[in-house]
Parts: sequence; structure tokens; C-alpha cells
Amino acid sequence: MINQDILFLAIITLSLMCLLFLLLLYLTIRKAKEIKKRREIEDYKNKINTQIFSIIAEGKRYRGIGCETSIKQKAMEELLSRYVKILEGEDEKKRLSDLASHCLQGYYRKRLKSKKWSHRMNALYHIEDFYMIKLLDEVVILSKKKNITHQEMIHVLRILATFQYNGFQEVLYYHDLSEYEYRSILMRLNHDLFDQFVLSFHKSTPPLQYAILDVISLKKAIEYRFFTENIFMSYKGEVKLRALKALAEIGYVSNIEPYLQLLYSSSWQERMVAAKLIGSIQEEKGIPRLIELLHDQIWWVRSQAGQSISQFPNGKAILQSVLETSKDTFARDMAWDWLHKGV
Amino acid sequence: MLNVQWLDIVSVFAWFIAVYMVIVIVFYSVILMISMLQLRKEYQLDRIQAYEDYMDEFYTRPVSIIVPAYNEEAGIIQSVRSLLSVNYPTFEIIVVNDGSTDGTLEKMIDQYEMKVISKVVRKQINTKPIKTIYQSTILSNLFLVDKENGGKADALNVGLNFSHYPYFCSLDGDSVLEPDAFLKVMKPIIDSNEEVIASGGSVRIANGCEIKNGHILKIGLSNNPLVIMQIIEYLRAFLMGRIGLSRHNLLLIISGAFGVFSKHWSIEAGGYKTDTVGEDMELVVRIHRLLKEKKVNKKIVYVPDPVCWTEVPEDMTILRRQRRRWHRGLFESLWTHRGLTFNPKYGSIGVISFPYFWVVEFLGPIIEFLGYIFMVLCLFLGGVYIEFAILLFLLSCLYGSLFSMAAVLLEEWSLTKYPKVTDIIKLFLYSLTETIWYRPMTVFWRCEGVWQMLIGDTSWGEMKRKGVSK
Repeated sequence: MINQDILFLAIITLSLMCLLFLLLLYLTIRKAKEIKKRREIEDYKNKINTQIFSIIAEGKRYRGIGCETSIKQKAMEELLSRYVKILEGEDEKKRLSDLASHCLQGYYRKRLKSKKWSHRMNALYHIEDFYMIKLLDEVVILSKKKNITHQEMIHVLRILATFQYNGFQEVLYYHDLSEYEYRSILMRLNHDLFDQFVLSFHKSTPPLQYAILDVISLKKAIEYRFFTENIFMSYKGEVKLRALKALAEIGYVSNIEPYLQLLYSSSWQERMVAAKLIGSIQEEKGIPRLIELLHDQIWWVRSQAGQSISQFPNGKAILQSVLETSKDTFARDMAWDWLHKGV
Repeated sequence: MLNVQWLDIVSVFAWFIAVYMVIVIVFYSVILMISMLQLRKEYQLDRIQAYEDYMDEFYTRPVSIIVPAYNEEAGIIQSVRSLLSVNYPTFEIIVVNDGSTDGTLEKMIDQYEMKVISKVVRKQINTKPIKTIYQSTILSNLFLVDKENGGKADALNVGLNFSHYPYFCSLDGDSVLEPDAFLKVMKPIIDSNEEVIASGGSVRIANGCEIKNGHILKIGLSNNPLVIMQIIEYLRAFLMGRIGLSRHNLLLIISGAFGVFSKHWSIEAGGYKTDTVGEDMELVVRIHRLLKEKKVNKKIVYVPDPVCWTEVPEDMTILRRQRRRWHRGLFESLWTHRGLTFNPKYGSIGVISFPYFWVVEFLGPIIEFLGYIFMVLCLFLGGVYIEFAILLFLLSCLYGSLFSMAAVLLEEWSLTKYPKVTDIIKLFLYSLTETIWYRPMTVFWRCEGVWQMLIGDTSWGEMKRKGVSK
């Protein structure tokens, strides 16, 4: 019996070993090919680099730039990716986008239909980077596929947002995203499309509401200050807090009184964001309370109070006097901290 | 008659070892399959693109980087320099000098023009007293905390108390980070809206790579066989083990070399424990335990991308010490939390992870060691015993070499980090020899660790670093 077992095991071990050796053979050949291909790509990149540069920077005509092989396509993709990161001017961006469409459109169209997830993902990254709006239809088609993964969907939505796709709001409503994902998508919308989301704020799910307010705060969108104040007045909890944060970023409110009272709120988050608001508006009436908040039991509130005080023109002097006169070590510590920030 | 009985005992023993090995082999194969599918999906994904978005995100969570340093004058400046160039919006670096007896403190003060600051540190975890706190006058986000010697865990706790940000990461003195390391490990945390509370990345071996000013210039392969074997071992552990375990939230180890934790949960769990050798694993177990006890749905994940390069021992004596220490650390963590084993209250951690770590990681080396002794004995006894020896040897080939070879190929199949064809062939051929020398050797050292523990020897042994960076 044991002999049979040994035979059996020996066969398994040997065959697995053979299999692994075959795999090794395959992988080394693949690697050698990859290395050769990489060298060819680098060569081609060096060859066309100056030409590409003059096309993008000076608007020269394309001549002799072929993208018929996969090596040339890859080289072109890499060069354009490098340029797209450093370009500033609108004309240059437009020319780069045209060049990308000219050379790579067919390639990405095929890649979007690829069976490999990573191929589709890479295509999506580049379509957005190169602003290849001519592929919009293909991206919309991809968005309607049933077995699309969550990561792909996020990226499709980003692209649709970047391209300011008209039916965007409907597409987005079908999906349940996290706050972070909503935010990064909404950030890309222009004023008109973003307006639609502001208008339907009350119907939105909490993550979407947070994201809308965060985008207002990130963009410091002063045109939404009345909307944000309204939200602050009519909501509670996290939404209220986010609205307050947005107001602090915008740095403008019509009537300061309710916000001064908020400095006495029992929730530390509200005290903290209110302190932030007072600092960014530089409302003198709030200074005495801010000094008190340097003694707050929550570190975040103390820190924010310190920062807010330091934003006033005479802030340094106030902090200095706290440092010299206060008996509370925490308040002194915080005052010291903000006096020495960015040394 | 006597002979027959003797044969019975021997065969029962041989079968016990054989069955054990078969079980472990099956288990490994399952994990290998899971990892393979996961890694393959991301093959050739343009990773830089995937992380770019997080860079200009206003809401990216700030991170405190804690670097405990005990007699690290050889590498400390380099590691801090590599940290300073990290690609991340907001972070602070806290070097904790754990009462070094060499020039660590002076070197730091000189290099970064450190200046004494007076600051009140909130003591959320009890630690040895802090002597002085310094802040760099050139870089306001670089701090140096000088404290009385109390061991690595104590130094980390001081760093935790001092840190200002909601996430922290602990880093060994002589590690080099990839520039995008933080983006990579913070991504799951941000993506999940902080449902993920700790995340680790894979660690690679820096020996043999060309490093300058805290940056990897060229990835290379060392010529030292011990180092090559350790590379294979790391590949196997990280690519196979951890990806597979992470998929199902079973992860019990975030390597001490690189991981980001939520400060809130770490402090709630009580910070690092000072009287154990494996403080990093211990903390992860405690966080898991806390999560299950509080019934909150939080996760610990692992990112397959290599994010950190670390130096490994190049000679036998130090490697031996390290392995003995690791094994004891493992045992201590498992023993302290033994109540979790097979406890359905702790879900999959109790029912799968803990038994796995007991049976495969902890008992594995002991059983393997017995197997090796048995093999040698059988060879001397001759006759029918030779067959047992062959049987066991074949099994341990499957168990050791084959999985390592598969891990090397998996690396090349999916991540392709090593640039030359010869590197892969070399790694592959070395992994073929694992069963013959490296594995018995490390198994023996691990058993020594157990032995030391049994006789109550508590000397730890320091790891002397020579500094990998130029």
C-alpha cells in the first residue's frame, strides 16, 4: 500500500514540478519579449518626442506619425501621459486631445470592449486624461453593461462628469456610491450640471448631500451661500455641520448672530466648525469666546480656536498674552503651537 | 512480536505527519488560488493612474509617521530623508529616540537643526517618561522625541501619545518607502469611507537593490543565498498568504515594517503592548477582538503592492536570532488571546484565523522538525522505513519547494518587479532547493524559539544593521 502511495505522490510531485518548469519557461520567454518590446517603445519615444512636442506646443502638422502597431500606440500613450501632466495652456491641451484622438481612438475603442478588467480600466484612465470626448458614446454604452465592476463604474461616472454629459444626473441616481466617490465626481461638473444636484438636494441620500456641501466648500462657491445658509438653518446633525463648514470656507454669512451662539454648542464638532467660521470671517465679536475655547476639553476645538485666533490681524498678540497669562497648560500649549506653526 | 508493535508506532507517527502535511498543502492551495485570481485581475493596471486622484484630494486623511529608533545612527538620516519625500498631502514625522546609546540623537539634531520645544503631551497610554521634545527649524512637520529606554513598543506608544493626526503608521528604522506608499495604503481607508481602519502593504527586501538618499534607484537581486531565500520566503508570505487572508478579513498580521492604523481604534485597544516580542501582531489581534466585542463592522486590509523595502539579516547568527524571536512573538500573541480559538463569538477570526495560526504557523515547524528527525532515523533503520522517508520527503517537497516556486512565478506573472530574466530564473532555482537546506534550518530555529520559551530564557538579541543606503 505504501509503495502505491509513494508512487502516486512521486507522480504528483514530478508532474507539478514539470508544470512549474513549463510555466517558468513561458514566463521567461514572456519577460524576454517584454524587455525587447520595452526597448523598442523607448526607442520610438525618443524618435518622435521632439515632433510630438512641436505638434502640441506650436501646432505643427502631423507627418509620419504612425500608430499602427501596438508598440507605437504604447509609446504615444506614454508620451502623451507625460505631457498631459505638465501642460497648462488651453490651446496646448486641445492639440494634445486632438492628437490623442487621431492616434489612439481606435485603440481605446477596442480596449473598452476587452475582456480584461485592467485593459478596460487603463483605457478609462487615459480617455479622461486626454479628454477624448469623441469616445463619449462608447463610455455611455459601457455604463449600461450589466456586469460592470464598481471601480469601472466610478470611473465611467467621472468621465461622464468631466465631459459634462447631459443625462448625467439620471445615470448617477441609479448608483449607490460612497461620499468620497460622489465628491470626486461632482467636483468635475460645470455650474449648470452641478445646479441640478443643488436643486434636488432635499431628495438626495445623505452621502450625496454631504458631497454636494463638500464640493461647495472645496470650490469656495460663493454663489451658493444663500442655499448653504438655508441648509444650515433647516437641517440637523452632520448635514448642518457640513453646511457650516462650507460657510466657513466661503467666508461669508448674512447674519453672524446664530453662528456666535453656536460657539456655545454642546456638540464639540459644532463648536469646532463655528470657531473655524469665526476665524475665516474674522468677526471681532467672537474673539473673547475663541479665547475661552482655547481651554476646551476637546483637542480639536482648542486647536481650531488657536488657528482661528491666529487668523485675526492682532491674533499673534492675543496668543502671546494667553501664553504669558493663562494658568491652563493646555491653553498655553495650544497658543504656543499656533505661534510657532510653520517655523 | 516486538518488531510488529514497533512498526505500528512508527507507521502511526509517519501517517500523522503525512496527514498533517496533506491538510496544510490543501489549505495553502486554496489560498494560492484566491491570491492568484486577485492578482491576475490587476495585471498591467496602470497603478500610478489609480492613485493620482487621491493626491489632490482635500479630504485625504493626514497621517503621523512614527519612527522608533534605538541605536540606529547608521540609517536614521536616510530613512527620515526618504520619508520627507513621500508623496502625500499632509503628514508629520515623529522620530522617537528610545534612549539610544550611540549618536542617533545628535545626528538628528545636527542634520535637521532640531530645537527644543515645550509641549504638553496628552498621556492616553502609559509610557516611560519623555525627556525632551524637539522640532526641526527647517521642516515644521518633523519632530524628535527623546525618551528613556523602554523598548520598541514603548517608543511607539510615546509616538502615539504625541501624534496629532487621526491615522498613524509605524516604520522600522532602516526601511525605505516607495514614494507612493501612503497613497497606496490609505486608498482602501478613504475608499471605504473609513470602514477600513488599518491597512498594510507588502514588504520587499532591500539587500541587493541600489539605494541612494532613501530612494530605490534600481531593483536588484543579492548574491547572498541566505538573502535570496528570504526574498522567496517574503514573496510567499506576502503574495500568497496575506492576499488570500485579507480577502476575507482574516488578517492577523500587519508587518511591523509597514502598516497604517487608525489612532482612535489603536488607543481604544490600549496601544502597543510592551512585554511581548511581537507587538505589531498583538495590536492587530487586539483591534480585531475589540471590533468583534463591540460588534462594529470595521476591516483590516492588505494591499499587494510593494510599498516598503527593508533590510534583512545577511548572516546565520542574526537570522537565527530573528527567527527565534518571531516564533516566540507569535506564540505570545496567540497565547494571550487563546480564548478566541474556536470561539464562534469572534466569527471567522476565531474559527478560521486563530486555528490556522496555531496549527500551521505555530505547530507547523515543530511537526516538520519531528518529520525531519524521523526521516533521518528511517534512513539509518533501512528496509521498509526507507519508504516512509521517501514519502515524507516527497510531501515536504510539495509543502516547501513547490509552493515557493509557485510564489516566485506568481510574482513574475502578476507584479513583475524584478527587471532581469536571470533574476527570475535564479529565484526559481533557489526556491527549488528550499526543502533541502533553508527550510529545515529555519524550522530548527523556530523550534529553538519554542525551547527557549519552555526553559524561560528571555534574552531577545539585538539586530545589528549595517545600513543599506549609500
